[in-house]
Amino acid sequence: MRRLPVYLLLDTSGSMKGEPIESVKVGLQAMIASLRQDPFALESVYISIITFNREVKQIMPLTELENMQLPEIVTPESGPTHLGAALEILCQKVDTEVKLSTPEQKGDWMPLLFIMTDGKPSDLQKYNAMIPEIKKRHFAGIIACAAGIKADPKPLELLTHQVYSLDTTDSATFKQFFKWVSASVSVGNRSIGASDEIMLPPPPPEVHSVI
Amino acid sequence: MKIIDFLNTIIADANENEINDFLSVKEASIIAEIHKLWNEYKQNPVSGTAENQGDILVRKGEKEALAGNIDTGREVNNTGSDKDNIEKQLGTDDLKEPVNINEAEDIPLDIKINDASTIIIDMGIIQGGVKQEYNQKTREAAINKAFNKQIQSIHISLPNAKVNQEYNVEFDFEKLGIPEIGEIEFEGLGEIGLEYAAEEKRIKGMPTTAGDHKIKLLIKRKNWENGKRIFECNIILIINPDPRLLWNSIPTLTSISYYKPDSAEQFLEAGLNKVKFGKKCIVAASQRGRSHAHEGKPRDDDFAMFFDEQTGWYIMTVADGAGSAQFSRRGSQIACETVIEVCRVQLTAQDKDFDKHIENFYKEKEPKITEKRKMVGDSLYTIIGAAAFKAYKNIEKEAAGNNNPIKDYSTTLIISICKKFKFGWFVGAFWVGDGGIGIYDHKIQFLKVLGESDGGEYAGQTRFLTMPEVMQPNEIYRRLRFDIVKEDFTSVILMTDGITDPKFDTDANLNKIEKWNDLWADLSSEVNFDARNDETAGQLLKWLDFWSPGNHDDRTIAILY
Repeated sequence: MRRLPVYLLLDTSGSMKGEPIESVKVGLQAMIASLRQDPFALESVYISIITFNREVKQIMPLTELENMQLPEIVTPESGPTHLGAALEILCQKVDTEVKLSTPEQKGDWMPLLFIMTDGKPSDLQKYNAMIPEIKKRHFAGIIACAAGIKADPKPLELLTHQVYSLDTTDSATFKQFFKWVSASVSVGNRSIGASDEIMLPPPPPEVHSVI
Repeated sequence: MKIIDFLNTIIADANENEINDFLSVKEASIIAEIHKLWNEYKQNPVSGTAENQGDILVRKGEKEALAGNIDTGREVNNTGSDKDNIEKQLGTDDLKEPVNINEAEDIPLDIKINDASTIIIDMGIIQGGVKQEYNQKTREAAINKAFNKQIQSIHISLPNAKVNQEYNVEFDFEKLGIPEIGEIEFEGLGEIGLEYAAEEKRIKGMPTTAGDHKIKLLIKRKNWENGKRIFECNIILIINPDPRLLWNSIPTLTSISYYKPDSAEQFLEAGLNKVKFGKKCIVAASQRGRSHAHEGKPRDDDFAMFFDEQTGWYIMTVADGAGSAQFSRRGSQIACETVIEVCRVQLTAQDKDFDKHIENFYKEKEPKITEKRKMVGDSLYTIIGAAAFKAYKNIEKEAAGNNNPIKDYSTTLIISICKKFKFGWFVGAFWVGDGGIGIYDHKIQFLKVLGESDGGEYAGQTRFLTMPEVMQPNEIYRRLRFDIVKEDFTSVILMTDGITDPKFDTDANLNKIEKWNDLWADLSSEVNFDARNDETAGQLLKWLDFWSPGNHDDRTIAILY
């Protein structure tokens, strides 16, 4: 079976505490429920969740959608946004978890990466150093989401041209965002047989494209 | 015993830290004070205080009431404003808990677990029937509370289930690490097709309903008896839908450009009735994949076949249009049509010469890596190599004529030409992209895969006929293969990746005879290869609908047999 690895990088810095992170959880929950209704996703999608604040944690290793149960997501009282370190861990995880084709092994679909942050990288130097590394990992698509007024889309634009801004960090917006993520992962948007970037569904109205 | 109620009130209103702080300052003096009072009392019991007298009264009146329920007890034990106070507590704190409120156990007491032992010790000094009973109940309540807290703190997660797929997981409560659990039961399993087999300690059954289901775990403490509290713990059990039931099949709109039917099948008698043509026939079928059907998207695969009665050549080809290329259904179609057209012309033109080269090659002694071999290869290049190239050219023309990039017509291509000779069968092939082609002989367990699959690092990556780098003379030549095999081989099979992915999984497996044995056995179980008529094609098409998780691409197969 061909797996479609999906990596979610979620900002759990201090500013996400409270309503924002609760909204993210609700959004994730809805996303998973909706993916479970998609026959392609149900048989192919593997999800990994990496959270970052001062510390970076892979709170869920690459897990088959069918078997996954949403892990606990916690935020510290305060703390920086180590997105650079998160990308570093991500590269390590992709290197060990994503399978490439060999004569004896069937390769995975090219992985997808979704990043959600409500700030900007505190470890900018590391962040910039990781950008070429991420490019080497051949993600089929990288979609970044800058949520809330304090989010800075500029650094994200160095990583991908698909950067979207959400005005608020409430439940309705995150729900829309994750709905969109699940639509991107679903059957219709898999380009079976080509290495091009995935075709994205149009973003929901709450999402503003930063171009 | 107002002092106990009094203490309870304090404890109920205060938090743990406050109590700890309070005790760290005042504990010594409280103990000293109680000691003093106790000693005074022992020396002169009659000079007891008003509380003592009240207490004695209660003790007397209580004898009958004890047999009844605790409400009476409350009345007796708590008088005046204390009673109100306690009822207030009852109405709030106790009801918050997700528990079966069992009156007999529901002592008007809200003790913090950490403090329970202290309280019990304090009360231990009080003797006599009523107090004993009261202590018992208080103690029971405290233990219940502690127990409940313990239960609520454990996180129980059950592995996800799937509709219509046997569920059978161990659930051994002894492994929860709470020795006080005596017996368990589940509520809500029956509705979703499951049950808890207590003796096996397993939850099992056939899940019926998809969704996130709330299951209640009912727990009884050890030595439970009727009337005692039953504890509850909520568990979410996720039941995934059966993916088979989620696939839609939306017919492709006939109004789209380059419309093509969602399936196709063909049986070609070919040389079946002529000994000199080897008495073989061709059957092929092509079925739109579920992933396309789900979205109402067209079938991108295609195939074509031809038998030339003049020359005795059998021609077969299958093509797999790239799912991501918007007009690949037309690319694969043009490729297949062109292949038949070019091979037909070329085989007629070169028939005698080509036959000669093949014969010379056959007669030659080992090793056959010689000029003679090259002669056959060169001829093959001008026949199926040319066919592939012309297919590319025709696609290019179509793309240019419609102002589309050729990439929009991306397709893979597998070609095979076969002919019976006196000394055996010649099988020639050209292959670009994924999928597979092989000569299979079941009886002598012979397999020859005619080429290599073009796979990338990731799934779904392959090379296409429409890539300029593939259409280079060296590259085309490199992709040619041929062999001469015994007359009674089982079949030559051409397949797109919609079949090779589920049936062979990896490139290495494509070269394993066991996998081909499995494939042939599977095919034969649904397709009657002895009948050799149109029905065979229908059966083959039906076979293409086989289920394989995660493999829902278009499927096309052509078989010479």
